[in-house]
Amino acid sequence: MAEESLREIIDSGMSICYEVMGFRQRSIFKLFQGFPVLSEKYFTLDVNGRQRRVKVEPEEPLLWILRDDLNLTGTKFGCGFGECGACSVLIDGVARRSCQVQTQYVSSGQKIVTIEGLGTADNLSPVQKAFVDFTAFQCGFCTPGMIINATALLSINPNPTKEEIIAAMDFNLCRCGSYLNIIEAIASLANTEE
Amino acid sequence: MKLTRRQFLASIGNACLVYAIKFSPGSGQRSIIQEPVPFDDEYTCMAFDWSIDYREWIVFDQSGNVSIFTNRMELGQGLTTVLTALVTQALDIPREKLTVVLGDTDLCPDDGSTQGSSSTRNVGWSFWLACHEIRNNLIQQAADSLQVSQEQLEFLRGGVRLKKKPGRIIKPSELGGGKAVRMTIDPMAASDNGQEYEDLGIDNVNAVEIVTGRLKYVGDLKLPGMLYADWHTPPYHHPWQTNLLSSDLIEARAVAGVEAVMEVDERPGRRIVAFAKRYHNVTKALHKVKSKWSVPERPKELRVEEEIRARAEFVKILEKKGNVDAGLAASYKTVTETYLTQNTTLAQMETDTAVAKVENGGAKITVWVGDAWPHEARRRAAELLKVPETYVHVIGMPTGGGFGHKIAAPVTREAPVLSQIIGAPVKLLYSRRNQFKLRSRYKMACLLDLTTGVATDGKMLARKIDTYQDAGSGTLHTYAIPHVLTKLYSASWPYQLATSRGTSYVQNCFAIESHIDMVAKAAGFDPFTFRRINVDLTAFVQLIDACAAMIGYDNYRPGPDEGIGLAICFHGGSQLGVVAAEVAVNRTSGKVKVKRICAAFDIGTVINHRTATACLRGGIIWGIGYALFEKIKIDGHSAYTEYLLDYRIPQFSDVPPIDIEFHDNCNPGAPRGCGELPIVPTIGAIANAIHQAIGVRLYSTPFTPESIRKALGGS
Repeated sequence: MAEESLREIIDSGMSICYEVMGFRQRSIFKLFQGFPVLSEKYFTLDVNGRQRRVKVEPEEPLLWILRDDLNLTGTKFGCGFGECGACSVLIDGVARRSCQVQTQYVSSGQKIVTIEGLGTADNLSPVQKAFVDFTAFQCGFCTPGMIINATALLSINPNPTKEEIIAAMDFNLCRCGSYLNIIEAIASLANTEE
Repeated sequence: MKLTRRQFLASIGNACLVYAIKFSPGSGQRSIIQEPVPFDDEYTCMAFDWSIDYREWIVFDQSGNVSIFTNRMELGQGLTTVLTALVTQALDIPREKLTVVLGDTDLCPDDGSTQGSSSTRNVGWSFWLACHEIRNNLIQQAADSLQVSQEQLEFLRGGVRLKKKPGRIIKPSELGGGKAVRMTIDPMAASDNGQEYEDLGIDNVNAVEIVTGRLKYVGDLKLPGMLYADWHTPPYHHPWQTNLLSSDLIEARAVAGVEAVMEVDERPGRRIVAFAKRYHNVTKALHKVKSKWSVPERPKELRVEEEIRARAEFVKILEKKGNVDAGLAASYKTVTETYLTQNTTLAQMETDTAVAKVENGGAKITVWVGDAWPHEARRRAAELLKVPETYVHVIGMPTGGGFGHKIAAPVTREAPVLSQIIGAPVKLLYSRRNQFKLRSRYKMACLLDLTTGVATDGKMLARKIDTYQDAGSGTLHTYAIPHVLTKLYSASWPYQLATSRGTSYVQNCFAIESHIDMVAKAAGFDPFTFRRINVDLTAFVQLIDACAAMIGYDNYRPGPDEGIGLAICFHGGSQLGVVAAEVAVNRTSGKVKVKRICAAFDIGTVINHRTATACLRGGIIWGIGYALFEKIKIDGHSAYTEYLLDYRIPQFSDVPPIDIEFHDNCNPGAPRGCGELPIVPTIGAIANAIHQAIGVRLYSTPFTPESIRKALGGS
């Protein structure tokens, strides 16, 4: 893969597969060191159905705006390099790693949904409910990212096979090793759709 | 709950009843001291001096609510769920009546570190037994105060009632209001309560907060005026191999939004730190730091095996039985081998994080942290800050994975130091790179030399082990061998070694279980049968049979380059584990695919099968990681693993179906813990399966495609 297109992918914050990781590290470094010093600007973000106005540096990752400015701390910082998936959010229904999404590239028309926007304690989303039923977590730190990715998967593919679940979730890391429980939780939703 | 002890006591009212539990395993002692002391704040401090023996509290308030207090922490292992299940069932109260308070040093007594798979076994079970003592105690008190016999009373829904007056339940606070009662519990002696625990399969009590993203970890706290902070990463193992010589911070300080970039004297060694309101700016500033560090005097090259041998010092004899040389001489076959493991790290998802606030000119220091031992964190912070311990208040938070890494971790004292320096509340958040490089505590590479002699009937006669590492755990109790000599050697390292999940059980068990298979082969025995002949405890035979049945060993027809391997483990808490793994090896690529794992564990009463199964599966997955991928890139000067993708941990696609059976034959009754156990035999089982599949013995972890191709080429 050419480094140009790789940079595009990194800029867009999408997850990247292993084959390109050699390039990837160098690219991230270049991006970091090449940041111009920009002053803060106003941005309007559509988060969980609400219009939120923030004043931040344009290149600051969306992750920190969600966590620090909007107090949506369910979106976790795990690595800062798009490797673990703990910071995943939905942007127009697609799971994106918010540590790799610069705020300036999120347009005001794009709909951002965080874990807090999926369901509440009294009204859990189907994926959240399944995660509870299957104890699909231990420490729970990676769980919001897992649920966001599972939600995105099920919106594209309501009936994924086990292999499709694994392929879609493979780059979300869980150190406690709750993978089997997560697969079971997602698969339980696939079955009810049949 | 975030209250000081005084606020807390005020909030529940002075008419509440407090039980303080002394936990004394093996003493044979169980008692309630029947001299209740008047309950007032000042006296309570004396009665419940948490520096001494009373390690857990149970408090009954006037509304019938129960609160329990312990310094053990929720690290993801499900302790809150276990405690909730035990106490609600023992006291017959609904979940909403129970508050579990963990790891607040102003509220909770110090009952040690959350480690060694001991919290369910020690703390959980002592609460269970204590609750039953309390039931008896309350019935006795009610009988005295109502002037009736104890038979006319029963314990129900957290209180006592007269059998003939079922409508009215007398609350504990009515019976002993304003009193504090001390009690002693020996969990080993106690099994005569006639109270069988029944797992009702409750949800993880934090489940809803976790799935809605509302469970607050320490990184989620925000205090007014708080600054983020992080360390500059030195190029070498810090501080063991390097000192800061000079720095140029001008460019770093010029980064917009940065509050300060400075050198600080902080143990360990002099370091550079950046502060900013936004973590983004901390990161940018740290990239601009220019610094010079002394080059380590030791060689850069780190030849693990050679260095271990060169630096080894004899520590002690771990086990000596019979005459090992005579035993070996009398053997039909002897096998001598050497096994090696590599340095690994923990890579928990939440990097080290702490929030600290220093007030009243340093007389009031509050630290929020996800840590396994808040009281120890408090002691060390007070020591470092040179203040009395009472000035420091550590508030434990849920932890995003610890695995032995976060036991009074440095971050718990660095954060208050930085807060004092900068004069504002600080959130110290380790970058992932710092987590790998600066928090350089690694699970140590271990080396084992083993020689075993076996008789013609398949009985092992003699075994000699020289184990080079820190502890030598896991060499005992698995096999009955008449002549044994196990010696422990230490090896000093250019960096710090870690406590990590499974400690040296992991390395030892890999070596011993691989070796046992080779001994079985030399003696001409099937590895399953060979273990059945030689195990020390019959409970192991039941577990081996269970695994053989689950994985279908007796009728197994392997495909090309497929095989099944077995390994067993005895963990210190009297926990037994047997794991059978089936693998397929690709001879061309060298890739190992774990196809299936079947495991049987003898761990006593299982308090919550759902959290226990999650924990056991997770541990087995750790074992797969240690077996196939995990090795931190490290040399004598530095670790150069910086990213998660550089340190391969198991992913969804690496995980096979895992079947787990629970047994309770060895020492039935009390729970015995299971956090570390499942990792331990998994690595040996995979190594043995690879051996059965392709006939190649791997003498070092991890079993990477390269190492397998190399081994195949050499065979």
